[in-house]
Amino acid sequence: MAQSPLIELDDVGKVFITGALRHEVLKHISLKIEEGEYLALMGPSGSGKSTLLNILGCLDVPSGGHYRLEGREIASRADAELARVRNQFFGFVFQSFNLLGRYTVEENVALPMVYRGLARRERLQRARDLLARVGLKDFTRHLPSELSGGMQQRVAIARALVNSPKVLFADEPTGNLDSKTGQEIISLFGELSAEGTTLVVVTHDPRVAEHARRVLTLIDGEIVGDKRNGEAA
Amino acid sequence: MNPFEHLRIAMDALAANKLRSFLTMLGVIIGVASVIMLVAIGEGAKTYIRAELMGIGTNLLIIVPGKTETSGMGHMPSGVQKLTLTDMRALEKRASLIPVMTPVVVSNAPVKLGNRLRNVQIIGTDQNFEAVRNLHVEIGSFISKADVDGGRRVAVIGRTVKKELFGESNPLGRTVKIGETKFRVIGIMEKKGMTLGQDIDDHVFIPVETAQEIFDEDGLTNILAQVINESAIERAKEQIRGVLIDRHAGEEDFTIVSQQAMLSTMQTILGTFTYVLGGIASISLLVGGIGIMNIMLVSVRERTREIGLRKAIGAAQRDILLQFIIESVVLSMVGGLIGILIGAGIAYGAKAIFPVLPIDVSTWSVLTAFIFAFMVGAFFGIYPASKAARLNPIEALRYE
Ligand SMILES: Nc1ncnc2c1ncn2[C@@H]1O[C@H](COP(=O)(O)OP(=O)(O)OP(=O)(O)O)[C@@H](O)[C@H]1O
Ligand SMILES: [Mg+2]
Repeated sequence: MAQSPLIELDDVGKVFITGALRHEVLKHISLKIEEGEYLALMGPSGSGKSTLLNILGCLDVPSGGHYRLEGREIASRADAELARVRNQFFGFVFQSFNLLGRYTVEENVALPMVYRGLARRERLQRARDLLARVGLKDFTRHLPSELSGGMQQRVAIARALVNSPKVLFADEPTGNLDSKTGQEIISLFGELSAEGTTLVVVTHDPRVAEHARRVLTLIDGEIVGDKRNGEAA
Repeated sequence: MNPFEHLRIAMDALAANKLRSFLTMLGVIIGVASVIMLVAIGEGAKTYIRAELMGIGTNLLIIVPGKTETSGMGHMPSGVQKLTLTDMRALEKRASLIPVMTPVVVSNAPVKLGNRLRNVQIIGTDQNFEAVRNLHVEIGSFISKADVDGGRRVAVIGRTVKKELFGESNPLGRTVKIGETKFRVIGIMEKKGMTLGQDIDDHVFIPVETAQEIFDEDGLTNILAQVINESAIERAKEQIRGVLIDRHAGEEDFTIVSQQAMLSTMQTILGTFTYVLGGIASISLLVGGIGIMNIMLVSVRERTREIGLRKAIGAAQRDILLQFIIESVVLSMVGGLIGILIGAGIAYGAKAIFPVLPIDVSTWSVLTAFIFAFMVGAFFGIYPASKAARLNPIEALRYE
């Protein structure tokens, strides 16, 4: 395939400056992510995993290097442009679920479509479809606080998927869950990957790494390992 | 993004915190309610006073003894030389622009019928009073020229006096005592009600010279002069001045008040009143706006993670900015709406209590209130909203 990768980082660096301190968190990161990949980002705490994920997801911008999305350089750092990319290309799942407590489950899931300009009825229909997909068909009208942690995380995953993103990013999605519910989420990711969703997951959980088809290891802001699991998996 | 979506987001956020939203609105509610109420009552009072002042007659000049610097209602006789009937006779001869005038002597006295007694205001005047003051006899007749010239002891009584002293019986031809003097009742005035705080129906009218005699008074309280037309008022004043200064040894020891001057004095007083209260209302709107800003700042802080999340899922700065500005505008405009309803309610309530006041809530005051509420919300919402819009999504999502 001569097609350009979905996301390409070319010599990306990230430097945080706090007062007089200059903290180089990412160094010379070059990376290609193809469509349909299931990638796990691992490494010790403070190694820069979240920072890398945020840059990949256009929540943050690199201090240097190139970022290409489907071969196009995202040079513009204009807020409106980045917001549009996040809305239409990416979905995010966080360690804490970040559901809005005053909205019902289906309204939470429909939220990204608000910023896409879809009509409310269409949004809620699509949200219900996705809730059915993550096994929460009977909880559409509940408030998030009425759901268990694992269910809330599934709502968050439905929300991340609602705009049919090119990539689903997750930053320690099982970090706030017990190991059984964590396993449910991991299985769900496995299913999504099998259905063709591109996944990039930051995790400390070795079970995620087992499922993922590619494991990237980061230490001190550098990629020290890029291992592909056997195709047989 | 559709502006209605922003509106929906704002409404949801406000509805999630109903009591807080309401308390935040209170400043605006009070400010707007007072503006609406004050404007309605103030305008009603102005219209009322104008109608009342115009109702006492047309093109009237009131000549009172004593010189005052200020024109209008407040006159303080300095007690130099009295204004007399002779002065009036001279004016009748020489002031060509004043076809009719009437003398007035006012005093308070008890009026008795048998063992019934009522303290009323006694007005000594002449046959022209009816025409000049636009007050008319209903039954019987008013004081005639012959009554005045002959110093007769006849009285015309107001409706209230009639009712209190005579009840249902016919007073015409009966005798009442004013002070210790007996008077024969010759007429009853038509019902008039309150005019400028005076109950015309509670007066008794007697011939001017008779009044001077029984009250032992040789001056007049005032002279009412009716000018031929409006444009002649200033010239008529000059004529009066000329005649009276001549008669008072070159002294201008009297004051001429025109209806117009009284009107504008009243309007000025009411206007100042309205400005002061309007100022208080504006301050309360301002305080309301600051209250909104304060709560919006709290709300932005509380919802930091929500803002981060919205940004992560595709909200641009502009969307966040609009969301919070609309929220603060909705707060102030709903407050404005409630304020308008309350203000109008109070105004119409006042109208129900004082039916004579032509109170009306004008469209322009409602519109102005709305526009002000909008501006307060927009102005005081900008700072918190831009603070929210500029939040870094990653830091906002990490906020505890
Ligand atoms: N906004 C920032 N300003 C300054 N330093 C930052 C900022 N964000 C992250 N860092 C620093 O960058 C380094 C990498 O942070 P990052 O959150 O990417 O690590 P991580 O690998 O995700 O760690 P963890 O596993 O604990 O989540 C850390 O040392 C952190 O202190
Ligand atoms: Mg992290």
